[in-house]
Amino acid sequence: MPKVTIDGIDFDTPKGWTILDAARFLGLEIPTLCYNEGLSTWGGCGLCLVEIGTGEKSKLVTSCAYPVEEGLIVRTATKRVIDARKMVLELLIAQCPASKVLQDMAAKIGLDRVRFKPKWEDCVYCGLCVRMCEEQMMAKAIGFVNRGNKLKITTPFDMTSEECRRCGACMYICPACTLRCEGPEAENVLCGRCYNELQPTCLDVYENYACWMGLKGECGTCVKEEDEKKKEGRCSDE
Amino acid sequence: MVKLLMFEQLEKFRQKILSKRSKKTVISISCGTCGQAQGALKVVEAFKKAVKGHKEKISIKVTGCHGFCEAEPDVIIFPEEIFYRNLKPEDAKRVVKSILNGEIVDDLVYKENGNSFIHMSEIPFYRKQMRILSGKNPLIDPVNVEDYIALGGYNALAKALQKSPQEIISEIKASGLRGRGGAGFPTGRKWEITRAQKDNIKYMICNADEGDPGAYMDRSLLEGNPHAIIEGMIIAAFAIGAAEGWVYVRNEYPLAVKHVTIAIEQARELGLLGENILSSGFSFDIKIARGAGAFVCGEETALIASIEGKRGIPRQRPPFPAEHGLFAKPTNINNVETLGKVPIIIEKGADWFASIGTEKSKGTKIFSLVGKVRNTGLVEVPMGITLGEVVFDIGGALDGKRVKAVQIGGPSGGCIPQELFHLPIDYESLTGAGAIMGSGGMIVMDENTCMVDIARYFTNFLQEASCGKCTICREGTQRMYEILTSITEGRGKEEDLTLLDELGRIIKDASMCGLGQTAPNSVLSALRFFKDEYLDHIKKERCNAAVCQEIISSPCQHTCPIDTEAPVYISLIAKKKYADALKIIKKDNPLASVLARVCHHSCETKCRTAEGGEPIAIRNLKRFVTDYGLRNNLMLRAEPKPRNERWKVAVIGSGPAGLTCGFYLALKGYDITIFEKQPVIGGMLALGIPEYRLPRKILKTDIDYIKSAVGEIRTNSTLGEDFVLDDLFNQGYKAIFIATGAHKSLRLNIPGEDAEGVMYGMEALTSLNLGKEIKIGRRVGVIGGGNSAVDTARALLRTGMPEDVTIFYRRTIAEMPAFKDEVESALEEGIKIQFLTAPKRIISDNGNLRACEFVRMKLGEVDETGRGRPVLIEGSEFTVKLDTLIVAIGERPDTSFIEREAGLEISQRGNVIVNSETLLTTRKGVFAGGDLVTGPNTVVEAVAAGKIAAESIDKFLKGEEIKREYRITRPSRYIEPLKFSDKELEELLSAKRPVMAHLSAEKRKFNFQEIEQGLTVEEAIKEAKRCLRCDLETKDGKMFLEKLKEGLLEKQEIKNA
Repeated sequence: MPKVTIDGIDFDTPKGWTILDAARFLGLEIPTLCYNEGLSTWGGCGLCLVEIGTGEKSKLVTSCAYPVEEGLIVRTATKRVIDARKMVLELLIAQCPASKVLQDMAAKIGLDRVRFKPKWEDCVYCGLCVRMCEEQMMAKAIGFVNRGNKLKITTPFDMTSEECRRCGACMYICPACTLRCEGPEAENVLCGRCYNELQPTCLDVYENYACWMGLKGECGTCVKEEDEKKKEGRCSDE
Repeated sequence: MVKLLMFEQLEKFRQKILSKRSKKTVISISCGTCGQAQGALKVVEAFKKAVKGHKEKISIKVTGCHGFCEAEPDVIIFPEEIFYRNLKPEDAKRVVKSILNGEIVDDLVYKENGNSFIHMSEIPFYRKQMRILSGKNPLIDPVNVEDYIALGGYNALAKALQKSPQEIISEIKASGLRGRGGAGFPTGRKWEITRAQKDNIKYMICNADEGDPGAYMDRSLLEGNPHAIIEGMIIAAFAIGAAEGWVYVRNEYPLAVKHVTIAIEQARELGLLGENILSSGFSFDIKIARGAGAFVCGEETALIASIEGKRGIPRQRPPFPAEHGLFAKPTNINNVETLGKVPIIIEKGADWFASIGTEKSKGTKIFSLVGKVRNTGLVEVPMGITLGEVVFDIGGALDGKRVKAVQIGGPSGGCIPQELFHLPIDYESLTGAGAIMGSGGMIVMDENTCMVDIARYFTNFLQEASCGKCTICREGTQRMYEILTSITEGRGKEEDLTLLDELGRIIKDASMCGLGQTAPNSVLSALRFFKDEYLDHIKKERCNAAVCQEIISSPCQHTCPIDTEAPVYISLIAKKKYADALKIIKKDNPLASVLARVCHHSCETKCRTAEGGEPIAIRNLKRFVTDYGLRNNLMLRAEPKPRNERWKVAVIGSGPAGLTCGFYLALKGYDITIFEKQPVIGGMLALGIPEYRLPRKILKTDIDYIKSAVGEIRTNSTLGEDFVLDDLFNQGYKAIFIATGAHKSLRLNIPGEDAEGVMYGMEALTSLNLGKEIKIGRRVGVIGGGNSAVDTARALLRTGMPEDVTIFYRRTIAEMPAFKDEVESALEEGIKIQFLTAPKRIISDNGNLRACEFVRMKLGEVDETGRGRPVLIEGSEFTVKLDTLIVAIGERPDTSFIEREAGLEISQRGNVIVNSETLLTTRKGVFAGGDLVTGPNTVVEAVAAGKIAAESIDKFLKGEEIKREYRITRPSRYIEPLKFSDKELEELLSAKRPVMAHLSAEKRKFNFQEIEQGLTVEEAIKEAKRCLRCDLETKDGKMFLEKLKEGLLEKQEIKNA
């Protein structure tokens, strides 16, 4: 059983678990989009990023695909993680502003601007439909085609597929094209926030912290740091 | 072929091959894909014919690439290693004949800067290289295994098979070999990890998926020396314990696929692949997997997925392929070049290999050196060599162009600016500078490369190459491309740069595989080193490299400091509408006739016709139009607005800057007075430029044109002596523009400079131009390499007094700042130039000049101006007897008047300080421009300063905010392009730039007659037709063509078009 440390919690994980499995087990919240328990792991959307390691060698990895290993140190909500997540979501919303799933997530993680021109597409290429079709419906009717900016999901040669049974599972699982958000308009790609939750408050000030409850100072570390920083600031001001 | 069963049999086989080989002369012909594209196969055919009947003396070897792309198709003649370049089939006979006669074919020998290099090893391109791997290509026919074995091939394998795998891994570890695919992971450690896996089945993969634009090292190795790679693979497989291997190569490398396939078959036949290799008990075989050409499949996990028959998409590592690779088995993946180095290390020993290179990067690395260098090709250099050595010594900068940066590591690499060319090439230094070693693409960029455009090009490549799995890489690269496109089209905003930087950093941070993690490198490094270029695009709508079409419209117009609409007047000439052309020219240029003669025509240096031909003679066409205007008395007077007496403006100095500023303000209705110190008007135009370049009659017509608008030009009135600025303000002048130029000559500061007979360039020219008497001796020396040195030398020659005029310059002709054609003309007239020479002291007798002692220089390292720094050669002093010595090493402004003025500040270099955007000085209402501000500069820059000052003064007097306004470049109107028949087009394509009729050296050298005589009507029209009309390539230009086609233009516009 590899021993890992997630957000300061030491934990013996069962072998074969991913970081996401362990974090969820511990009740730590990591947003996901392309991940679904009933399907194989894809690891593409980039929302479940966490930081592993410490110091200069620390890096961001997709927690849904990263297997736990002995001595792994994981931090699920550092500033680096949140900044990257927000950028990923900003890109996704610019791509599909009408997805309610994405809009809700934006409200939840506190994304408050979109700097890119909206594309008004109906697909975020999370691949849930492809895996659903193949792994649960055993149809393999659709798949990815092309690469990069020409990537799309379609049937072979764009023709009506005999493999497709019109079961609708692809639409059922789609985070972009089914649940529509009526809020966003062309000028403001973020919607009116019908979904809201407590926000992490000290992210803009502190690099590393773990109090997702939004109760500033409850865990104690940041308050202490803040005092020290204030002191330093005052010295340098003088 | 006989199967080799024992180690000894391999050695015997080798001896048998060697004994068969007589000491014939071998002609090795470079026939890689690149050589074949240049026609090498035809050359081979020709050689085969030519050697018929001489087979006992000469044999032909068709080999892979020799590395010197610029020389393809080339041949090397062994054993002498004579190198012939750029051969045509008809050269074959001559080459064969020369071999039989023991001669050299002189015109096929490689030449550079006038020197010939007969042998391969002497050629600068090869001299600094260390071709331990690529150097075997010319010796090997890739489809003949005997060639490889004759060179000691498979000996390393025999050696390795007699060791234990652990010993081999230790050897490779000790050699310090690191992955040549780019990331630089220690090869020995990779093998060790794979070896340590407990699985029974393991795989060995050779990664030959080379896909970056401008990189072809792997292809050259696979095509030219496939057995080296196979040998490396077998040794690696033995070390890790694999029984099966794959070469993953792109299908668009058909020749590489073919040669590797043949090589594998041959190795099998010889028993070097297959069961129980050389009776060692070790079995291994290789298959070929052909990739469909996806850049991302160079990433190891994507490559594995591709071999498995799945979509080539990377996955999260760990687990690494060493633990969980192909078909879920431990797999070792090495790059082609890495594997090629393995047999060499085993053969020559780890210590030998480790002795090459730096502490952390060992051995040699092959780079493909491409872009803006003279000698492009594959270069193999020891690690630790500096970038400068590779770019300048091996590559060589293009004539007169300044190298700006080099992009290393292909699209995912970064650019390294020229200032960092002292960096050694090793994994750590390059990463530290924001680039990567990558697979070894090295793209050199010079002043004609736009850093924004190049970043956009690479980002475009990557947005298409991204597999699309990770949001951040797929969407991020697309958004970066979007932003870069908007900047190159002149729609960029300053906050875009912050967003680019933030986006780039997160793409690096959050992407899953190497493609995404390095994708933003080109943008981030360009932002780091060339942010000014980005800001120029965004804030000033300028692309100094004249590349970004939507900003520049046409390179000539964009490059012109005064926005002359060259494409418009050129197309009007082609339509014979000369009067209209004159209007276009004079609109932006009150000194049109002058500049038509003396402009340094930077427009022509950027002209796109020059790519693969000669640039349009833009200046000469302008002269054709202005001469036409003079002959027909067109536009001799300007039409200013009615004068506004309340607003008087004083202009000090009647040089090009002052005249222009006064002219444009006068057009707007201001009351202008120009004050001039000298008795003549024109400043440097009248005093500095000799009459043979600019006849006084011509100067006068332009000055008269300006006078027709300007109120008064007062000569013989000197600022600081006759009046001060306060006097002018008291007299009711509301604003003042100072443009007194730079006339004070710089001193040499060497002993004896005060001797009688030593003069300064500007003094001498001024005296001559004012018709004053000066004493010139028989033997004249001129020190300097700029225009004033050449002008003075030529003007003195024309006085008829000297017998001998010699210019002494401390660098070479290539670095001379004087205009090239002026230097050539001077040489034609019999003026001598001593290069690499600097004065040391002046020898005088009773205060009279007798001689000057000079010392020889050599060019050292390239300095910040992009030229070699002159370094003194000790003990090389020599003396030259001289009667007159002219010092013309530069001028600076005479700012002595400042001492009496309050509120004006001077920089350390002695120039007046102004706001470079508005030309406002530190005193309210006082503006300054021209040479006084910039130091000696071109006429057209002075005219530009005059125009800017006029804009600023107008704003100042109207009480508006003084701010320069920038717009993207566009012509004021579009002219319908001429239609050409196919025949005409063909003629135009081969047409040369016309050479203007001019006086011969004999006819001109002792008088001040104008040398150049102008173009004829036919020449001008023909030349104008050569224009490529870049102005029609923008969206606006295309829209015009579209409207024209559909007949949507208004009547007036049709008339114009």
